[in-house]
Amino acid sequence: MSNKTLSIHPPEGVPISFALASIGARFGGQLIDILLTYVGLILFFWLMIFTGIWDWSFLAALFFLLSFLVRTPYYIFSELVWNGRTLGKRITKTRVISADGKRLSAYQIVVRNLMKEVEVFMPIVVLFGGDLIGSESKAFMTFWMIAVLCVPLFSKRNQRLGDMIAGTLVVDQPATVLLPDLAVQNPSDRVDFTFTPEQLGIYGRFELQTLEQILREPPHTQEATDRLDAVARTIAEKIGFEGQVSPADHWDFLSDFYRQQREFLESRHLFGDTRENKFHAGKSENPAAKARPISDHRP
Amino acid sequence: MTPEHDIPADLIRSSRFRAEREENWKKLDELVSRAEKSGVQSLGYGNTMALASLYRQAMSSLSLARAISMDKALETYLAALCARAYLVVYAPQESIRGVTSRFLSRRIPQAVRRSWFPILLGFFMMIFGAVVAHILYRQDPSWFFTFVPGGLADGRTPEASVDYLRSTLFDDSDQNHENLAVFSTFLFSHNTQIAILIFALGVFAALPSFVLTFYNGLVLGAFVTMFADAGLGFEAFGWLSIHGVTEISAIAIACGGGARLGLAVLEPGSCSRSEALYRAGRDAVTLIILAGLMLIAAAMIEGFLRQLVQDTIWRLIVGWGIGALWLAWFLLGGREDLPDGLNADKESAGT
Repeated sequence: MSNKTLSIHPPEGVPISFALASIGARFGGQLIDILLTYVGLILFFWLMIFTGIWDWSFLAALFFLLSFLVRTPYYIFSELVWNGRTLGKRITKTRVISADGKRLSAYQIVVRNLMKEVEVFMPIVVLFGGDLIGSESKAFMTFWMIAVLCVPLFSKRNQRLGDMIAGTLVVDQPATVLLPDLAVQNPSDRVDFTFTPEQLGIYGRFELQTLEQILREPPHTQEATDRLDAVARTIAEKIGFEGQVSPADHWDFLSDFYRQQREFLESRHLFGDTRENKFHAGKSENPAAKARPISDHRP
Repeated sequence: MTPEHDIPADLIRSSRFRAEREENWKKLDELVSRAEKSGVQSLGYGNTMALASLYRQAMSSLSLARAISMDKALETYLAALCARAYLVVYAPQESIRGVTSRFLSRRIPQAVRRSWFPILLGFFMMIFGAVVAHILYRQDPSWFFTFVPGGLADGRTPEASVDYLRSTLFDDSDQNHENLAVFSTFLFSHNTQIAILIFALGVFAALPSFVLTFYNGLVLGAFVTMFADAGLGFEAFGWLSIHGVTEISAIAIACGGGARLGLAVLEPGSCSRSEALYRAGRDAVTLIILAGLMLIAAAMIEGFLRQLVQDTIWRLIVGWGIGALWLAWFLLGGREDLPDGLNADKESAGT
């Protein structure tokens, strides 16, 4: 799995990021496409011959035409109609996008798929095709095929040759899951924990978002509960929280801490004092940061 | 936007921000899912308008969320939502007809004129191959077997009788129209595969394109010389001309397109190699599509017209007449309303 992400700039000017499709997903998508088209072709002709609706000469013409169409034209047509997705890409949940942030043009789709002819089909035909070709040429083609298949591995953005010429990328289809906002309190009649600004001034954004991850899953096992207790105790100790927190209240303690910590950090952030992590205090000790009061506006 | 009274008063700033906008994001999410499944066309007028404005709202929410919120889940969600909506909003949506007509009237002739040198070089390689084959054949006819694969020769070898050779040029008896269709479909798919190969190989420094074109020239030269030696030179020329003018031009154009790519790799100029490839790619692809169109035409002519027109003089007239039409299109097309054409080029160069 590659987790490379890539940020592109749409005309709206807000950068958005896509996860590049892994080599495995791309290879799988290509394999599925080849299997689907050729199995479909063979099944269709087997059916046609079996039922015998058309005579041989018509079938032959149809065969030549269709076996041409399932190569480059199939990919061009499906990517045009489904906005950068072939059947194989739909199944592997990947898609083609334009690297420059503009819409994918017909031209780009044509180019990247024309190059497929040398990158994918020619080696396959030579390797598995008839006896026309000598063994040296076969050895050469094997070398060739490996070389061409390696291009996406060494390319910075997992592009194959066709992608480079067309200026396209293959990315994972983004999935949207909206998790609930942890800072919205459910009304309950429990004890509220309140923290002083000094206590909230210790951690930064990184710790806040780690705590967010922990709070996403209420503990169901004993092990998870133990971990949650450890987290709550560590935080209470670090910030010097006075007063007792009973183990039953650990979840509420952390929720309250999260909410107030976030409110505190966000408001510091608005005043130009962004705290990335708990080492922010050390950073602000350098003279330049100290010379400028927090509330000061930038010139 | 949700009315104020729905939102609890004690929310922290970023939660309020989210609560106010969440409903619109969900609406956008739903519209995008529908468009992904069955196309933007299925949304209808009102929803499409809503999609565009909701997309812009979500984009501005994302930008704002990055500035004010430390809710990781929110930012992840908005980024993914905006990415999906972006892909729907910026889907390729040129009308097929507009693209086609602009392509035929402007892009093709302009691309041919811009690439005249590599195309000419392609023709030259083909002719060079033919001349080499001619000279070698005159020295020793057995060269024929080196140049022409057995399947292609189909009994037309230097040992064949003049009568047999003549019959291959003028046969009209045993072909019915259905067989002509089979034949021309086969020719088209076979020749197009070759053209695409010549083109796509061009990216490897242009040389493979020229070598393959040269080889095609060798086959051609060997064939013509063989017929000429049998005293059928003029007839063979007519037989070849009727489709060959179109077909050979198509191969040379495909070669020229491949060479444009190869030249971009060899000599990228002031930009990087992949940038140069990308720029040359536009014309190169136009040329290969043109080659495809010409090969369809050539296959039609070869499959139908050549069997129907049996007189050599007429074959010459038809073949070279069609050639002159191609040339007129390339030289004269796309010259009118230059400002518009320039605009189209600028726009396409940026795409």
